[in-house]
Formats: sequence, structure tokens, C-alpha cells
Amino acid sequence: MLLLWLLLVPLAASPLAFFLRRRPTMEVVNLSAFAVVLGLAAGLGSQVLRRGPVSFWGGFLYADALSALIVFLTAFVALVCSIYAVGYFRHDEQNTVFLEKEDVLGEIAGQKLRKYYSLMPLFVFSMLLVALANNLGVLWVAIEGTTLASVFLVTFYGRETSLEAAWKYAIIGGVGLSMALFGTILAYYAAHQIEGIETLAGLNWSVLVGNAARLDKSTMRLAFILILLGYGTKAGIAPMHTWKPDAYSEAPVPVAVMLAAGVLNCALYGLVRFYILTSKCLGPQFASQLLIVFGLLSMGVAVPFVLVQRSFRRLLAYSSIDHCGIMVLALGFGGPLGILGLFLHMTFHAVTKPLLFFCAGNVQQHLNTDLFRKAKGGLIHSMPWTGAAFLMAGLAVTGSPPFSLFQSEFIILRAAFGQGHFVPAILFVAFLVAIFSGFLMHIANLVLGPDPGLPPAEICRWKKYSVLGIASVIIVLGFWIPAPLFKLIQGAADVVAGGR
Amino acid sequence: MSFLHDLQFGDKMITLMAALVLVLQISMVGQRWLMTNIRIFAIQSFLLAAISCTIAFFNQANHLYVAALLTLILKAFVLPLILGRVVESVGIRQEIEPLINVPLSILISGGLTLVGYVVAQSFYHPEETSTPAALGHNTLAIAIALFLIGFFTTLNRRKALTQVLGLLSMENGLFLAAISLMYGMPLVVELGIFFDVLLAVMVLGILVYRIGETFDSMDVSKLRRLRG
Repeated sequence: MLLLWLLLVPLAASPLAFFLRRRPTMEVVNLSAFAVVLGLAAGLGSQVLRRGPVSFWGGFLYADALSALIVFLTAFVALVCSIYAVGYFRHDEQNTVFLEKEDVLGEIAGQKLRKYYSLMPLFVFSMLLVALANNLGVLWVAIEGTTLASVFLVTFYGRETSLEAAWKYAIIGGVGLSMALFGTILAYYAAHQIEGIETLAGLNWSVLVGNAARLDKSTMRLAFILILLGYGTKAGIAPMHTWKPDAYSEAPVPVAVMLAAGVLNCALYGLVRFYILTSKCLGPQFASQLLIVFGLLSMGVAVPFVLVQRSFRRLLAYSSIDHCGIMVLALGFGGPLGILGLFLHMTFHAVTKPLLFFCAGNVQQHLNTDLFRKAKGGLIHSMPWTGAAFLMAGLAVTGSPPFSLFQSEFIILRAAFGQGHFVPAILFVAFLVAIFSGFLMHIANLVLGPDPGLPPAEICRWKKYSVLGIASVIIVLGFWIPAPLFKLIQGAADVVAGGR
Repeated sequence: MSFLHDLQFGDKMITLMAALVLVLQISMVGQRWLMTNIRIFAIQSFLLAAISCTIAFFNQANHLYVAALLTLILKAFVLPLILGRVVESVGIRQEIEPLINVPLSILISGGLTLVGYVVAQSFYHPEETSTPAALGHNTLAIAIALFLIGFFTTLNRRKALTQVLGLLSMENGLFLAAISLMYGMPLVVELGIFFDVLLAVMVLGILVYRIGETFDSMDVSKLRRLRG
């Protein structure tokens, strides 16, 4: 029942926001819907921890610890985003950023807000469906749904560049996802050949995982390659990452956060599900090698672009490509430690990334630019809170202690040495160091330095509290992980390890 | 009407129609008019619906009739209509300008068809061809070829709308692969995919319209302001 409510609440919030029209009401609808979803997600987590996997509707919806973790992270990011979005869009509206040719009485601005507040719940709905679908085909449909729901969120500002970004996002995503669909079809074909699997349940995860060892080997090999390319495109693994900097820098900040900390997890979730099947069928070796190559490639591609980056919004996108590479690499290293490192990293990344984007959003709204060249540095004087938080988030996201991403990266490194992957481990460290130095150089230049004499920024309550709130969550997580959350992460790792 | 129950006959019909689908796909690569391209896509989808009907008839796979009906309504009528409307409203009806010229494109498509046959070899079990379960298996090669040629078209074309057509060809190839390997996906998944395709075409259609409005062209090579 919980599973159904998790999907129904955002699905209902979308038309509600669409028909209620007035801005304060839409804000309330979004905030309350995502708050309820977060509560339900926490409930789902505790239920899964107590009683094991739950399913509903004759096994159409299914949740184990892995799905519960993804649902919880998505719900958390969605709530934080919607809090920030209130302040962000109010600021935009006051400063008439919604530039259109003939905007009389702010009518177009109203329409844009309506579009945001009704599409966002749909976007979240499809992300939740990704994690809760039992059928791998429905999982694909839901991931495609995340693209479709978010294309018009990327074009939100209606600039020429945002159209370009949305076009790349939609077409590259579409091509990638067709490959994933091909992989899904092949997996279904492999299952279809086994006697005793009925046609309807042939793609159900709960059925497939029990029979994974009997799947046809050559078919699964091809299927995994296609899935890796497909869901990898959606997650933004190099060399299919080219849509990412454009979409992340053109979308409004709350949408960019959902792409970076929500869709990324969902796409990796699809990849992990197929990884379990493949490693059970072919042994972990085959999938591992591919994942390590693609993971290192993503990290390596991110390095030069981080070092010479000119815009801080695009910098964040390359950081996201880097982190996606780290997670894929962790999955490739495998072993209990590697998998644990993957889910820890996923959790910490989903908490840290929003802060980085929020700070970047505040800076961009204050300066009306996202280029380092025009920013001139010294932001700490005109916006002390955001500047400090930005610096902290920069340190946190590049994995410096005491912040939590350091712990997960360290665990992943230990897993690499433990499994005997020495060369990838050394490259991993080298890329991390390069990105650390590039990132900190940019952020420090932006935040620190002499006062350029800008007026102090007006940061409204909503933006301030969401930044401070999530910053304190990051600090706390650096020293203490709540026991239930850690149990959930461990449970998710056990789901993957149990598939071996 | 005894030939209607002859599996050999069914197999030949399916192979014939699948071959026609492939010919249409290559002719799509070969010709240069946008509207003709959309019409060829409609005919291709009609043939796909016919293939899935035939497979459904000879294998008593009743849920495939639903997929066939949806293909007929959606891909043979609704989608071409939407795409045609977009072409009219943007007011661009000129030629498609591929990046690689036509003869070479057709040559590449031929090569991709060969690749399709090589890949499909590993799924081909000749000892099973006479049983009903293996009916239509030889269409798999064509399905893979369709997928690959669609992929190539998406990369090769500069007009936004023809990229959408390339994507749809890829989807057609996948549909053919699914029905030829195992009589289609489970119905829930099939419905979901149709829903997604319809939505995707609408979303992309609106996007093409707005690109056409903003840039006075559907040429995606003009979209090059975002770098690095």
C-alpha cells in the first residue's frame, strides 16, 4: 500500500498545481507533496529493514533495500529542491528574468512557474517509478519518462541556448535509451528461453534474479553492453556525457539538482540491476572490466574540462560526470567493500551536490552571469553565507576530510587495492587529485580575494535556510551516519552481493 | 484455405514483408524529401503491423494483435500526422542535407545490414525453423539492421526532424526484434513503450517547432553556442 501512495502523491500533485494556478498555492502543493513523499520513503525504508522486500499489485511494484535507498535519496533531494525553488523563482520573478518579448502583467512568468510546478511532480513520479518497478521493461519506460518530463524543464528560460541544450538532452538521451531498450529486450529473450518462466513475469526482477544463473550467456553479454551504453548515457558516463554540461547549465537550478542528484542515481540503479543479473550469469569478471574502463574514462574526461573551465555552472556538470565515473568504478571494483563504497558514495553525493548547486544558483542570481571572468572574485564580502557555504561545498564534493565523500572514496580505493586493481587505483587517485586542485582553484578564486565593491546580496529566507540546512546535514554526515540510514545502505549492498 | 495454416507459408510472408521493411528503410536513407520520408515511415509502420498480425495468427499469440493495432493507429497514422503538422507549421519543406552524401550513405547502410546478419547469427538456431516457436526468427537480422541504420540516420542528418525520424526507425527495429524473438514484450511494457513513443514525438515536435521559430531553421548544426 505504501508503494502505491509513494507514486500517487506526486502524480496527484501535478494536476493540482496545474489547476490551482496561483503561485503561493502551487508552492504549498509542491512542498507538502514532497514532504509527504519523504515521510513515506522513510516509512518504506523502515518497513524494508524490518520485514524484507515488499511487493504490491501482484508483484507489479516491488521494493527491496536497494530500491528503498534510491527512493529515499530521490525524495530527500526533491524536498530540498522544492524548498530552494520557492526562493529561487521568487527572486527570478522580482528581477524579471523571465525575458520574453511581450510580457504584459507578468502573464508569461506565471505560465512558466505553472509549468515548473506541474512538471516537477511528474518528474519525481517517474524517478520513483524507476526504483519501484519490478518489471525491467517498466523500469525502462520510467527512465524514458524522466527524460520526457524534464525536457521542458530544461527549456524553462526559453533562451536560444536552452533550446539547444534541451535538444541535445532529448536526442542523445533518446538514442541512448533505445540501446537500453534493446538490452532489455535481449534480457527478456534470455529469460524467455528458460522453461517454467511464464511470459508475463518474464521480465520481473523478482523472477529473473532467481534464474539468473540459467540465462543464456552470449545473449546476456550483449545485453549488458547495450544496457551499459544506454543507462550510461542517461547517467552521463563518458563518452556519452556531452549533453550534461549543456543541460545542467541551462536548466533552472532546482531542475539541474534533480538531474544531478536524482536522475543520475536512477540511471545507475538500472545499471546495477542488470549488473547483478550479469555477474550472476557470467561471473563478475566480464562486467567488472567494462565498468572500470568506462569509469576511468569518465573521470579522465572530466579532468581537463574542470581545469580550464570558464563557467561555474558547467564546472558542476563536469564534477557530476567525475562522480558518476567514481560510482561506476566502485561497481567495477566490486567485492563487498566496493559495493558498500558505491552506495555510501551515492548517498553522500546526493546530499552534497544540492548545496553546491544552490550556492552556484545564489551567485548566478546575484551577479547575473555564470562566467568566472565576469565574476571578479571576492564574493565572500558581498554574500558571506553563500560564499562560505560554496567554499565548504567545494571542499566536500572533491572529497576532502572531514566531509563524508572522503570516507566513501577511501573505501572505494581500499576495495581497488583489495581486489588487486593496482593500475586503475593509481589512476583513480591521480584523477581525484587533479580534479581537487582544479575545482578548489576555481572556487577559491570566485569566493576569496579583495572586495570588488559589490552591494551586499539580498538572499531571501527560503534560499538561506535551504543552504544552511543542507550545509549542516553535510557537516553532521561527516562525523555521524544515522544507524537506520547506514543499515539501509548496507542492505542495498547486500542485495547486490546476494546476486553473486 | 489450407495454406492459411501452413507454417511455411506464414514464414515466407513474414520474411517477404520484413525484406520490404528493410528496402523502405534504405530508400529512406537514399531520398531527399522530408515529407516523403515521413510517408515512407508510415508505410513501414503499416508493414510492421501486418508482420505482427501474421505472427499473432500463426502462433496464437493474442496479445500481439493489440500491439499490431496500436502500431497501426499510432505509428502509421497519428505520428506521421503530427510530424506532418510540424513540417507545415515550421514552413520548411526543403531537402534533407545529409552530412555524408547519398551513394556513400546507401553503401554504409548495406554494410550495416551485413553487420545485422552477423550479429543475428548467434541467435539463429536452424534446427528449430520448422517448429512454430521459431517462426519469424530470420527477421531478427533485419531488425538489427533497421536499428543500426536508424542510428546512422540520426547521426548523419542535420535537420532536427529527420533526427526524430531516425530515432523512430530505431524504435521500429526494436519492435521488430521483440516480435521476431519472442512475440513481443509483455503487454504492460508494450503499452508503456507506445505511450513513451507518442509522448516523445509530441515533446520533440514542440521542440522542433520552437527551434524553427527561434533560429528560422531546423538545421541542428546551427545549434553550436554551447561549448566546453
